[in-house]
Amino acid sequence: MTIGPNWLAAPIVIPLLAAALGLPFVRWGRRGAAAWQRRLTLLGALANLVVALMLLRATLGGSRLVLQMGNWPAPFGITVVADGLTAIMLSFAGLLTLATVFYAMGTLDQRARMNYFPLVMFLLMGVNGAFLAGDLFNLYVFFEVLLMASFALLTLGGQISQINGGIRYVILNLVASSMFLAAAGATYGTLGTLNMAHVAERMPYAPISVQTLIAGLLLVAFGSKSGLFPLFFWLPSSYHTPHPSVTALFAGLLTKVGIYTLFRIYPLIFPGYLTEWQPFIFIIAGLTMLIGVFGSMAVYTLRRVLSFHIISQVGYMLMGLGLAGSLNPTLAVFGLAAGMTMMAHNIIVKSALLMASGAAELEVGSGSLLRSQLGGLSRRRPALTILFFIAAMSLAGLPPSSGFVGKLALLQSAAQGQYWTIAAVSLIVSFMTLMSMVRLWQKAFWGQPTEPIYPTTPLSRPRSKLLTLAPITALVVLSLGIGIFAAPVFRGFTVAAQQVMDREGYIQAVAPTDEITFAGANHGE
Amino acid sequence: MISIVLALLVGMLFATGTYLLLRRDPIKLVLGFTLLSYGINFVLFSASRMTRGIPPVVADKETFAGDISTFVDPLPQALILTAIVISFGVTAFLVVLINRRNALVEQQTAKAEETSVIPINDPFADAGYYGPDFDKDPDDYEWLEYSLSDERRRDVAARKNKGAKS
Repeated sequence: MTIGPNWLAAPIVIPLLAAALGLPFVRWGRRGAAAWQRRLTLLGALANLVVALMLLRATLGGSRLVLQMGNWPAPFGITVVADGLTAIMLSFAGLLTLATVFYAMGTLDQRARMNYFPLVMFLLMGVNGAFLAGDLFNLYVFFEVLLMASFALLTLGGQISQINGGIRYVILNLVASSMFLAAAGATYGTLGTLNMAHVAERMPYAPISVQTLIAGLLLVAFGSKSGLFPLFFWLPSSYHTPHPSVTALFAGLLTKVGIYTLFRIYPLIFPGYLTEWQPFIFIIAGLTMLIGVFGSMAVYTLRRVLSFHIISQVGYMLMGLGLAGSLNPTLAVFGLAAGMTMMAHNIIVKSALLMASGAAELEVGSGSLLRSQLGGLSRRRPALTILFFIAAMSLAGLPPSSGFVGKLALLQSAAQGQYWTIAAVSLIVSFMTLMSMVRLWQKAFWGQPTEPIYPTTPLSRPRSKLLTLAPITALVVLSLGIGIFAAPVFRGFTVAAQQVMDREGYIQAVAPTDEITFAGANHGE
Repeated sequence: MISIVLALLVGMLFATGTYLLLRRDPIKLVLGFTLLSYGINFVLFSASRMTRGIPPVVADKETFAGDISTFVDPLPQALILTAIVISFGVTAFLVVLINRRNALVEQQTAKAEETSVIPINDPFADAGYYGPDFDKDPDDYEWLEYSLSDERRRDVAARKNKGAKS
């Protein structure tokens, strides 16, 4: 089945409908509302995944899909663009959302009745919109949509630690959004357009100082949203506070949207700066990796440790972006593809890990590695333990897993371009990730089993056990599948990376014009 | 001239907003964020041209003889409108968060920080504070409301009594 550009609206409209139609059910009592919202959300997540996979199939042949809303030509209307990278991210985000919805059905407590499911759909709508947006201002709007949903999800339940983390998260994101908006204002004031293809076309004519200003503002804004080195502090102070299903969703989606935007904007609009700032990007990437992994060694809660690992993994993705700035075009494409592989790998593996550790925390009622309660889970819950182990080894980058593919590709291209320092740092961090995973394993799963303190746990009832473990299994199997079928998967990523590096192709596909001319304009005269 | 004044204004708003954001007081946090978003709105405003007396309105395009390129660009004002709405919504959420935090801190200072983040049996850790048992009465949302501290409740009661007497 072929797919027309009109389908590009579907990943935004489907979650919106699923969320909005679920909200009125609150009228008939909250318990019934939760059931209907859950059904609608499942339906929406499934439909979204199907559309995303269809888009993936359509774009991986090397083509782009462009939808000009209302048939207005490019810079005047709203443009929605999908290429390989967009479709890959849409598919992985859709898959993760579906897995999280199942996981939430198994583990969620009373929060299910507080409109948890519509909020997840609003979040998905914002994320999909940010992936698809073809101009800077719509990118800002969709970022705000996903941020509002994430604010509400993060503080759902209203515990004081959640609110303390939530305030930091809100403030940092607001400041970052303000910087992004300032960059958009500067872009419009200088170039008279916000459409990304049009901006890319006109940016070389702007004064150098303005170019540097915009590039820097965008790097800071999206860098802080994705948790890069000096601006990461909000992440470990807020991600461990909400319900595990929320943490898993955030870990998979939110930081990746920031990194995705950098992957989209820098090769398209600032290819020169990508090369010029390459050492700088490598320094940030290296420090992000190191600080994340050092931080994970210093904290003593299951999900805090994993939150710090999110940061160190973002460093790997940024390393891919840095490699894309090298002057050898083959190397640039290869490095970018490696970064994209890391991004996809992280969406599934990090969420699987957080889901597994969240289930462990729910099982014993505490995530602290210092108390002895967590020990001995390997004997009481063997299935959960095996899933955690495979996901942890995938995160550390052991074969055969998706993490191995991504790290190998990154190292190969770093060695080919002779960027020895960053290659060494990434190897050391990889080794330390393994150490940290072993530490988690020892403290949380190994050892003597303790008596379960709490009578009802999610894994003691067969239905919720299935709902909890099945999505983790699916994600882990997918990670292993990417590792085993590495060649065809990586070829797909390379096609997508070529599309991202192909500026002229993007600009031609969107085809921004300088004046409005469309058929039937002289209708009334 | 106008653009210099505007630049100074934006600079002042940014400086004041940043200073206030770095204070500890949550009210100053909200004010700082508001000022910062005003500053951003002025930045967007400056993206249209700073000309006076040339509104971007043409009564009849056939007879219009002026130069279109001197017009003020109306698009940034639409952008500002969107930005205002978004920042207003987010500020409202921030105020609610801070309010909720104050209520919670007032209730239980040391204990709340120590309680496990993950619900144990009771989803919200401290059943004593959060009101009725959730499982018995699932549609009861009492515990989500901000409860005033005993002192303040007493104050309110005293004021009511006073009003009733006089």
